[in-house]
Amino acid sequence: MTIQATNVTSAAQPDAPKGSPMQLLAQWTKGIKTPEINRLDILIDAADMLACVKVLTDAHWGYLIAITALDTLGKPATYAQDVRWKALLDAGATQAASSPIEVLYFFANGPQIVTLRMLLAREAATISSLCGIIPSANWYERELIEMFGITVVNTPDPTHLFLPDNWPDNVYPLRKDFKIEQISSTKIEDIHE
Amino acid sequence: MENEKREKFIVPIGPQHPALKEPGHFEFTVDGETVTGATVRLGYVHRGIEKATEDRNWTQNLYLLERICGICSHSHAMAYSLGVEKLAGVTVPPRAQAIRQVVAEMERIHSHLLWLGVAAHEAGFDTLFMFSWRDRETIMDILEGLTGNRVNYSVNVLGGVKVDIDAERADSIRKGLDLLEERTRHYLKVVTTDETFLRRTRGVGFTTTEQAEALGLVGPTARAANVARDVRVDVPYVAYAEFPVTMTLDTGGDLEARFVVRIKELFESYRVIRLILDKLPAGDLTMRMPRRIKEGETVSRIEAPRGELFYFIKSGGGEKPERIKVRTPSINNFALVTGTAVGHQLADMPMILAGMDPCFSCNDR
Repeated sequence: MTIQATNVTSAAQPDAPKGSPMQLLAQWTKGIKTPEINRLDILIDAADMLACVKVLTDAHWGYLIAITALDTLGKPATYAQDVRWKALLDAGATQAASSPIEVLYFFANGPQIVTLRMLLAREAATISSLCGIIPSANWYERELIEMFGITVVNTPDPTHLFLPDNWPDNVYPLRKDFKIEQISSTKIEDIHE
Repeated sequence: MENEKREKFIVPIGPQHPALKEPGHFEFTVDGETVTGATVRLGYVHRGIEKATEDRNWTQNLYLLERICGICSHSHAMAYSLGVEKLAGVTVPPRAQAIRQVVAEMERIHSHLLWLGVAAHEAGFDTLFMFSWRDRETIMDILEGLTGNRVNYSVNVLGGVKVDIDAERADSIRKGLDLLEERTRHYLKVVTTDETFLRRTRGVGFTTTEQAEALGLVGPTARAANVARDVRVDVPYVAYAEFPVTMTLDTGGDLEARFVVRIKELFESYRVIRLILDKLPAGDLTMRMPRRIKEGETVSRIEAPRGELFYFIKSGGGEKPERIKVRTPSINNFALVTGTAVGHQLADMPMILAGMDPCFSCNDR
């Protein structure tokens, strides 16, 4: 990792208080940001997500507020500062992977918010389901599937939650390259069939 | 017999159904009259507002987001304004923050009274429904007098508020609150003593504190199971640090407790509104906001009438936001329906559903 922004450190602080998310998640932490008071962004590998959430829930640290995603298309500058993005490029990722989808898991404990952030390759965005640990995560995972085109492995119900059943395949409205023309051939009568 | 047992019998309810005015589709798997499973399908009024915000400027989005919900419209506008102001580094004058809190608590009063009516109607107690909606007109008139609108009050602007409260207005608000407080005392007595009503609520839809925490419930639904979660107390926003509220908790965990918590919260709202009216800080109502908002990300959490409302706002430094994520309290609380339905009578489902005060237009953004 050669490029690092000033507010990104590549490892957890060793003197973090015991039982704090910083300490609990230290072994998976690839970078830490504190964007605001009471907020902690922890950058992790998507593969370590389940382990991180397990540790947080086992320690009864807060509850899941929301899961959401960000499409980084057209925002290379912001993400060039991100050590994780750099790692994806270093791994010889293709041009497509240079605009990854970022997934964010928000946990709150009183006033504190911890955000687990990870990057997924755009063309093969895949993440494990959280439902084994937090069953209600299914709502957000269904949203990730239909809105961002992320494959959620082992989620109990992958069907549409918000979008119509006949929504065209491979059209994901919250991705930045979504165009309204992509759904213009979908008739309202068809939707309500 | 064995084969019959293995076959599932599914009762589909909705999207249009007599129990609720908003569309949602439920499938209850039943064994006789007992529910053995439940699924939810939303999206019948999905408007794509999150996507639409990416195409509008910061000011336009205030009006768009306020229209996510007709009941907690002020909550959405306030959560968004607070987030954008935080990103822009603008400090809103204390008088504006106090007025935001007054309207937020008024909105809670109207929302809880509306819910009381709907929930009573589900229980077949239409007299309570009509009384509570009649009394709700008091607070609707106050809101209309103060803001000019019965719903979508449009009180917020980025950087402050656009309505002021003078001495005369404060007096008329106090008069209305006195009447409401007296009526609310009566409602508390009704929902805790009416034998017929209690048979529909006591012990129904029960969750333990541990279950409620695990399901991730928020708002009055969680507080009725003794889960101490209230953003107004945990992270005071607007003027809640100067005019604090006490968290209303109940150990019941059933529908009755949800009635009691919501009604007791009303007293807290009356008290804090009176307190603010007495000590309303002097000063300006607005601060100047830049047209472009600095690059950055923020989260904004507030306690809407139904629970924690969460906004994630990302600015790329332009006139429009990069992304706005809205997580409404109802989506968390739906876990209560799918999580506690099993083992209940099918006839209890409308009550359990009404008990969490679902808002479909919030979910469907």
